[in-house]
Amino acid sequence: MSDAEKEIMLDLLCDKFVYGLDENESKQLSELGFDAREADSIEQTIAALGLVDLDAEAAMPAHLHAKVLRSADAFFASETSAAAAEAADDELPSRQIVLSGGSGSSWFSWLGWGFATAASVALALVLFTSRGPDNRAGVQPTPTPIPAERLDPSQQRQRLIDSSPGEVIMAQWGKGNVKELEGVSGDVVWSDEKQAGYMRFKGLAKNDVSKETYQLWIFDETQDPKTPIDGGTFDVNSDGEVILPIDAKLKARKPAAFAITIEKPGGVVVSDRKRIAVLAPVKPTST
Amino acid sequence: MAQGILNKIAAGDKTAVEECLKKYGGLVWSLSRRMLRNSDDAEDAVQEIFLDVWKNAGKFDEQQSSETTFIAMIARRRLIDRIRFTSRRISADALDDVMAEPVDRADKTMQTSLEANDAVKALNSLRPEQQQVLQLSIVQGLSHQEIADRTGMPLGTVKTHARRGILQAREFLGLGSLDSTKEVHA
Repeated sequence: MSDAEKEIMLDLLCDKFVYGLDENESKQLSELGFDAREADSIEQTIAALGLVDLDAEAAMPAHLHAKVLRSADAFFASETSAAAAEAADDELPSRQIVLSGGSGSSWFSWLGWGFATAASVALALVLFTSRGPDNRAGVQPTPTPIPAERLDPSQQRQRLIDSSPGEVIMAQWGKGNVKELEGVSGDVVWSDEKQAGYMRFKGLAKNDVSKETYQLWIFDETQDPKTPIDGGTFDVNSDGEVILPIDAKLKARKPAAFAITIEKPGGVVVSDRKRIAVLAPVKPTST
Repeated sequence: MAQGILNKIAAGDKTAVEECLKKYGGLVWSLSRRMLRNSDDAEDAVQEIFLDVWKNAGKFDEQQSSETTFIAMIARRRLIDRIRFTSRRISADALDDVMAEPVDRADKTMQTSLEANDAVKALNSLRPEQQQVLQLSIVQGLSHQEIADRTGMPLGTVKTHARRGILQAREFLGLGSLDSTKEVHA
């Protein structure tokens, strides 16, 4: 392989484990050929680098934890039954000789595969039904975390503020560059410690979801201002006060400002910042 | 002991499942949310990823990687597949759903700090441009074209920084062959 080909091969391997490859790229990589150990080491490196800035405090929602446990139960049941079926098949020849020496599909074999099939169906059902919205009341004997009390966003916001007095920062929304939204008021609260926060708005206009969405950006002191943290998109479909939780995609350590832009449906990776709905610079004082 | 969890799962020890979720649930959930940016998709992905973990636990070789890296690799494969076939979307409803249900505090013992610290050191050992490109591509999920647009670097330069940065980080982490690193630097 020439140096040029090797560079292409390495580029494709890097792309494969960062973005995935399309059909043509996969074909090209296959034609070039590569060392499996090379590929493994690149994949491991990318997986390790992907741990950078991962939110160490993140935790699965309780209902998701329970779903994963249920699907694990079904998976292991399926595996156990399949192993039993395999063992049954292993025993089949001697039984045939002893019992009849005839049919290749004894009741014992069918019984084993029956178990395996039933367990596989059970696994498929668990996986399928666990994606439904009403599956939280599933009745598996798996120990599940006790659901805590449900709070509305306003109560959650207040709880966050009360839980870390002095640590939670608060910033007031001010005008951006969209004239129609100059009257928007409200605030944003954020806890570095809990990596959680809430946005509160009054007067933020409903958006036409088929045309646009709102997107939050967090300008962190530890990050290049050109690359603020994506705080997720949201839609406003009611008048009056709106309170929304913040879902930062990266760990925000010292937010210096928050901004809401108006973007195409689905949001963007990089905002052109042409339509900034509101801005909230963080002042040195805390709540 | 963390190193034994996948081996126990491979041996069919169901008690290791709960242990695995406690140690790595946060990692998989956090990675899924960061890469998919949609909480509903992330929930589906987490279930699929752990099913892949149960299925592939027998392939884990502690001589080759840590459990954290092994699980992160399985997670990334599944997440990359989903990203290529789904559009990114996060709705206020989905966010509210996630936030409304408090999490199990026991899950918070995510065991990634050692590996994450090593990764940070590896990243910091690179040239600033390489760091920037890898931060934007691997951590933030931007495409090479998006990175070029954002930074003003030519697309070819972005690709070169990405490749060289990954290979040097591999060397720093003690995972790779020096030969290919040298060759592409020549």
